[in-house]
This record gives sequence, structure tokens and C-alpha cells, in this order.
Amino acid sequence: MALLEVKNLDVRFAVRGGDLTALRRISFSLDKGERLGLVGESGAGKSVAAFSILNLIAKPGYIAGGQILFEGKDLAAMSERELRKIRGNRIAMIFQDPMMTLNPVLTIGTQMVEAILAHRKISKKEARAIALDRLQKVQIPSPEKRLDQYPHELSGGMRQRVIIAIALLLDPEIIIADEPTTALDVTIQAEIMDLLLNLCEQENVALMLITHDLGVVSQVTQRMLVMYSGRIIEQGPTREIINDARHPYTQGLINALPQMGEPGARLFQIPGSMPSLKNVPSGCPFHPRCNFATDQCKRAMPEYVRSGNVDVACYEVANLIEQEKRMQEAES
Amino acid sequence: MTSPLVSIRGLEKRFDLSGSFLEQLRFEGGRLRRKQEAVHAINGVNLEVQKGEALCVVGESGCGKSTVARTVMGLLSPSAGEIHYGGQRIDNLEGKAALPYRRKMQMIFQNPYASLNPRMTIQQTLEEPIRFHHPDWSPVQVRDKIHEVMHSVGIDPDWGSRFGHEFSGGQRQRIAIARALAVDPEFIVADEPISALDVSIQAQVLNLLMDAQESRGLTYLFITHDLAVVEHFGTRVAVMYLGRVCELADTKTLFAMPRHPYTQALLSAIPKLEDDRPNHIRLQGEVPTPVNLPSGCVFHGRCPYANERCRQEVPQLIATDGGAQVACHAVEEGRL
Amino acid sequence: MTTATVSRWDRFRESFFWYSFKRDKVAIASFLVLLAMVLAAVFAPLLAPADPYDLAQINIMNSELPPVGLDGADPAFPLGTDAQGRDLLSTILYGTRVSLMIGFGAVVLQAALGILFGLLAGYLGGKVDAILMRIADVQLSFSTLMVAIIVGAVFKASFGNLMFGEIAIYMLIFIIGVAEWPQIARTVRASVLAEKKKEYVDAAKVMGFGTPRIMFRHILPNTLSPIFVIATVQIANAIISEAALSFLGLGMPETQPSLGSLIKSGFDYIQSGSWWITLIPGLVLVVLVLVINLLGDWLRDVMNPRLYKG
Repeated sequence: MALLEVKNLDVRFAVRGGDLTALRRISFSLDKGERLGLVGESGAGKSVAAFSILNLIAKPGYIAGGQILFEGKDLAAMSERELRKIRGNRIAMIFQDPMMTLNPVLTIGTQMVEAILAHRKISKKEARAIALDRLQKVQIPSPEKRLDQYPHELSGGMRQRVIIAIALLLDPEIIIADEPTTALDVTIQAEIMDLLLNLCEQENVALMLITHDLGVVSQVTQRMLVMYSGRIIEQGPTREIINDARHPYTQGLINALPQMGEPGARLFQIPGSMPSLKNVPSGCPFHPRCNFATDQCKRAMPEYVRSGNVDVACYEVANLIEQEKRMQEAES
Repeated sequence: MTSPLVSIRGLEKRFDLSGSFLEQLRFEGGRLRRKQEAVHAINGVNLEVQKGEALCVVGESGCGKSTVARTVMGLLSPSAGEIHYGGQRIDNLEGKAALPYRRKMQMIFQNPYASLNPRMTIQQTLEEPIRFHHPDWSPVQVRDKIHEVMHSVGIDPDWGSRFGHEFSGGQRQRIAIARALAVDPEFIVADEPISALDVSIQAQVLNLLMDAQESRGLTYLFITHDLAVVEHFGTRVAVMYLGRVCELADTKTLFAMPRHPYTQALLSAIPKLEDDRPNHIRLQGEVPTPVNLPSGCVFHGRCPYANERCRQEVPQLIATDGGAQVACHAVEEGRL
Repeated sequence: MTTATVSRWDRFRESFFWYSFKRDKVAIASFLVLLAMVLAAVFAPLLAPADPYDLAQINIMNSELPPVGLDGADPAFPLGTDAQGRDLLSTILYGTRVSLMIGFGAVVLQAALGILFGLLAGYLGGKVDAILMRIADVQLSFSTLMVAIIVGAVFKASFGNLMFGEIAIYMLIFIIGVAEWPQIARTVRASVLAEKKKEYVDAAKVMGFGTPRIMFRHILPNTLSPIFVIATVQIANAIISEAALSFLGLGMPETQPSLGSLIKSGFDYIQSGSWWITLIPGLVLVVLVLVINLLGDWLRDVMNPRLYKG
């Protein structure tokens, strides 16, 4: 059984003029120790997906359907009390902005000890020892000193290390990291990603990494999901998707990267932009920007088809697979 | 080599942190003393932009790249040094004398959500600069010019009566580019023009900038933190660290053979699609604050090759046999 | 041209402003009450049964008649009469007119001064900012009433009572306007400081636009929302200030009464049982100020940029 299994998750926002669908029929699973990348541009719903796993969606958002099974228990149906036992304890979260997690008026040590004592019945001294151990794990220079420092005394990279240390405090099974390095410089980003990857491997923690950076995804994750307009349009092993993307959107996203283009030549570009939640196109939401769109694409959202180890929601891909099958049959 | 279009000479920029005279007074060690603190954003930068090229300035936050851009455009006045445009010194021009350069030099900003006036329609946004710089033009000429720039950036001319907030980030950046192009500039400073945009939109805007360069013969000073973009877009690259240029080279040369240890680390840190794991050169420590600059080479605290000379003496940009100019004692001495 | 106006009207009808107004019952009620009072005041000469300024229409025999419904009431005077025999309904209509004129006039003056100085201080910064804001601080540390009392007393002494009656309304507008400009200047300055950091201002500078053009055409329109909110509240404050001054006898003379001077003129007769001369104008004043403040609160909620853009 998978550690985390999300089944047909629907999330909506109740706003004036009716509900907006932020996530539609999201299904994926995460195994123990697995690293999963969630890729998409802004407005794709990747952060909403991350927040809804812990049932942390802020009003006016709400989970309209589906299940979030963590070790077989449905988080979507749990009470706030039960959820609190899981959040931060079994599933930890890392945000883009460290100041969302850190309280500016408390020392790092106080915050870490409090986080431990909220879930464990141990002495303050023992908690402090755990905190120190985690700070050492994230390779912060002079960790003892850091315990008594305030967040503003640390640099951005250091703060993000502290956040990772806090996430690791209670030996969680899953870490959800929402764009953890977007606000950081490239050299710092590389170090933080390296650290996160090594820690997850050492401690056998599952990682759900939400990012817009395909380079980071390919470096860190084993499997990836590509989201567009609140739907998962492609999911499968990272290497397979990066090397040979099936969905026209994923292909476009990869080919649009400057590193894929000839220097000086025009980059591949996907026309248009991601639709807002208020006017999601009918059928496949990508069809107005897609070169392969047909009438079929405008009518209904395509079902997933399997190509290699990758699940893709695209009529064009389905047709290609169908053709291939027929050719093989004709040959035999 | 022909004379450069823009040349930046010995540029320095400090931002005073200590406030007024009274605020500078500190009580230290039993007596009152005056303490002045400043952020040393740029510390002696020399750059020349050749006509028709795209000179990219890269570096991490706090390296002074945006300050260079803003100083060149006259949004900030330099603490020391000069800016020349077409052989004429422009950093000391004021009022009417500066106007011709305002038309020839334009700027594209990072945040398309803030760079368009929220109370102005697209039409007004584009019309104002044209009328301002060409008061003698007839309404028909103005309208034609607006249509021309809107067309060339891929914005439907019928959208003129709409406001900026009705558009997506990519479309807004197109409008901002149209505004810059509306006065027919020769030289455009682009300060991180794509870093606030999504990946698929970044490609659209980069292509647009390249098209404009080709069709209008533009010269760019392109500020970015993204080396992948530089490799694609730049003719030459200047790598900045803590207010100094540490390497200046042709794009091809720099990417084929980065010489400065910082450039090497920066290049290795780009997450590449073909990587299965992060493999980057580890640097010690973090970027020092530009308030208390390290002595000698500003990079010595994080450099694996630093020696005593690096801690004492500031390295100058020196041409190497590869064609790159590098400010590094180790490269100069052949240690690296 | 017509298409443009239609689309502007459509845009307004689709806007958050209109949407939240429609949903806010307090705002609608306040707006309707205010509208009714403003219209009644504007058209007072047409609506009022009598002209309280016309001495020939006043009969001292009608003095201190109670409102309709009480013993001894005369149906010709629905709200009763005051001590001089003037119809109270008419004097209230005219008085509201005077109070509103002073309120609006003072705020227009405040806004003109406040916007100009606030823009200059916020945009130019440095010494200009320091000097203007210190002047504002000094100005605010005098209470409006104190300044008004002194100026009013000087005016009264130097022009004499008759002349004073004619210029009183302008004097009140001037005093209240000048005394309260720092409120608006501070609001403007604060939003200018936020706006001038935005890139559209840099873009305007890069275009070579002059400072006045950037200040008035680019920054000012973006600071209008908070100005609008505070101006609404300031109208209410100006009306109260005027009422207080008139109550102290330093405002409008009894021959051209405002709501404040009406309250004052009736105050002497409360003991003798003619409470209505004070109470009814007092109620009108309270309602007027209350609806303006309620509208101001609603405006502030709607124009809060964080809520507005969300």
C-alpha cells in the first residue's frame, strides 16, 4: 500500500458568482521514501494541491470530493484535532518563504523545542538535544549558537536550512516542499536542494517537491506530475518524461527552456497563457494553446492513457498509441 | 574596435544607511562619535556596450547588477564615475539637455504588475511618451505609431481602452516593451525582464526581445540572474559579484571555459535537465553584506583557491589568452 | 463616444465597488438618507414653507409653538417654531444647507492644500518633506476649535456683527479648511511614498517626463482612493466643527442659522419646556454626521487595496 494516496480530489473556491474549480480529479500516490515532483506554472494549482493534502486550504477554498489516504486513513474526512497530530509530525511542510514558518520574535531554539513538545512528551532538555541534532544534520555552521538566535539574524539560505531542520524534527514520513528555493540565489538553491535530497535519502523520507523548475525536478525527483489548470495532465517516472514528454504542454514547457534552444535562435514557444480559474476552456483546458487540438479536445477532458510508464491525458497521444497498435497488428 | 555606444567608466554607487547628521552620532566607548555606514552597491565597474550587441550582466542578489542598470538610465546618480552615450557624457545632464537621451535609451522593468500605471489605459500608456517626445506629430501619426508598436509586440490594437490589470503577466510585459519601443530607442536596458514570468511566457518574451533587436537594430544591456537565459540571449557576459565585475567574456567563451572560480560555481549551480542529481561546485559560506566589504578580492571568503594575496590586493580585470577578461589573482598567476 | 460611455457604465456595474454597495444594506440606507438630506438642502428654497431669512414673514406671535401632535400646535408649522416665531422645518432645511456648504467647502479647501503639500512632501522628500511635515505637526498640535475661536473673535471684533454675518460662512470654510489640511496631507504623503517606489514611476522618469507631470498625472490618480475615504470622514468632522463653533456663538449668526446655531438658539428655552427648538436640529445633525461616517467606513472597507485586488 502506498504511504499517501490521493484519489479523485476535487477542490473548489466559493466566490461570488459561484464555485471555481481549482483542482479536478487529482489522483496520485507517494510511496515510502519516494521523491515526487509536482510541476506547473503559476495558476496550475500545484500549491493548492500541496495545501489540500494537509487539509490546510484557506477559505473560500474547500475540498469538494475525493479522498486523501495517508496510511489508509482519509485526511479529508478527519477532524481538526486528528489532523493536528499528523501535521508537522508525520507530514511536514516547507514553504517558499521561511518567514511563514518562523516566528520573528522567538529564538530558533524556542520554536524548535515548542514544535517537538507539541507532539512528544519529553523534557525540554531532551527536546533541545533533538533540535541541536537536526541543526547539525542540515549542516548549519555553529548550530549551538543558532539555537539562541532570532530568525532575522540569519541569511536567507540559513533560514531555509533551519526550516528543513524544523521539518525533520519529528522524523516525518513525508515532507511537502512548496517552491523551497525559489526565493534563493542559484548557488544557495543548489546547496539547499542537495541537502534536501541527501537527507530524504538518509532518513528514508518521502518528498513531495512543488516547483516550476524542470531542472530541479530532474535533479531531485524520481517521479513527476505535470499540472495544467487544476488537472494532472501527465505523470510518470521523471527521467522518462524529461527525455520524452508525451503531452504537448509538457513538451512545450521543456522545449521553451533557454537551455534547450540553439544560442541566438528563437526559443520554442507555447502561444497564449494559462487560463484563469474563472474561464477554464471546455474539454482539455490546454486545447486553445495546443497545435494538435481537434474538435474532440474541445468537447471533453481526455481520459488517461498509458504510454511506457507514463500516464497522459491527451487525445493526440491516445490516437498515436492506437495507431501504433494497429500497425503492430497489421505486421503480425 | 569601433567606439562603444554606451560606456560605463569607474562607476561607483553607495547608498547611505546612516541618515542625517544627528542619527549618525553614536555613543561608543565613553565618547560621542560620528559613524557613517553605507551600502557599497557598485565598486568600480567599467563596461562598454557595443552597438548591436546584447551585453548581459549576471550575478546573484546584492551583486549590484540592477544598480548598474538604474545608474545607466539616470534613475540613480553615480557616487563616482561617468556614463557616456555615443561619446557624450550623460550622467550629469539635466532637464532639456537629457531629453534626447531619454528617447534613445529606454528601460524594461522586472515586475510587469508594477510597471504599468494602474489608472491608465493601454492607449494612454503608449500615447503619452509619443506625444511627449513628438509634440509636432499629428493625431494620425501618433495613432499609426501606437498601432505599429502594439502590432510588433503581439498585442491586439483593439485592447487600447483596457487597463493593465485586465491582462496576464506576459501580456503586461509585452505592453511595457511596446511602451519602450514607442519612442524608437536605440538602446534598451532590460532589468530582469522575464524573471517574474512563467516558463512558457519567458520564452515568448525572450523571442519578442530578440525579434525587436533584429528588426530595429537595438542594443541591449540585459540584467539577469539566470545564466541559461544568458547563454541563449547574450553576445557578451559580465559576471558581477559584490559590486565588481569578476569576469567579462564572449558568451561562447564564458560557457565553454569559465575562468573565474565564482563563474565556475555559478555555472555549475544551474539545474540542468540532463542531471540526475545536483552536481555543483560547493562554495564556503555565504555572500558577505555589501556594508562591510571584505578587503582584497571580494570573493576570497568563499573561494577555494584564495591565498594571502587575494586577501590583501584587489584583482583587476586582465585579458587572458582565451579572450576573456578575468579579475582573479589565481588565474593571473596561472594557479588556476 | 457613446460606446465609451456605455462601456464605462458597464464597467462600473460590474465593478467590486458597485457589487459591494448593492450587498451592504447599511451603505445603501446611509446613501439614501444622505441623498435625501442633500437634495432637501439644495432645494430648500423650493421645499421650505417659509423663508427664515425674510423678516417680513416672521410673526413674533407664533414663537415657541410646539411640533404637530402636541398641545397648542399649529398645522402651518409642522415642526413647531423657534423663539422668534420662525418655522422650524424651514430653518432646519436652510440650516442643513449652510452646514453642508461649510462641510463640503472646508473639505475642498483641505483637499486642495493637503493634496498639494502631501504630494510635494512625499515625492520630493528630503528637506521639503521635513519642512512641510513639521508645519503640519505644528498645525495639528493646535486644536481646530482653539484656532477658530481666536480667528473668529478677531474677525468679529474687526468687522462688526453685521459685516461678520455676511462673511461668516467663508470664514468658517477657511478656518476649518486650513486647520485640518494636515490630515489629508499625511494620508496623501503616505500613499505617495508607497506609490513612488513602484516601477511605473521609474518608467515615467525614464521617459523623461518632468516632476510635475509625474506627480499629478501618474502618482496622484493612484492615491485618490485613500483621499476619497478620508475626505468623506472629514466632511463629517467639518460639519461637527462648524456646529461646535456656532454653538459657542463664533459661527453662523442667528439670522443665517446653521444646524449648530439652531441648537444654540434653542438651548436657552430647554428649561422653559420648548425642547424641540434644540432637539430636532440636534437630531438632524446627528443623523447627517452618522450617515456620512457610515458611508466613510464602508468606503474604507471597499477601497482597502488588499481586499479590493483579491
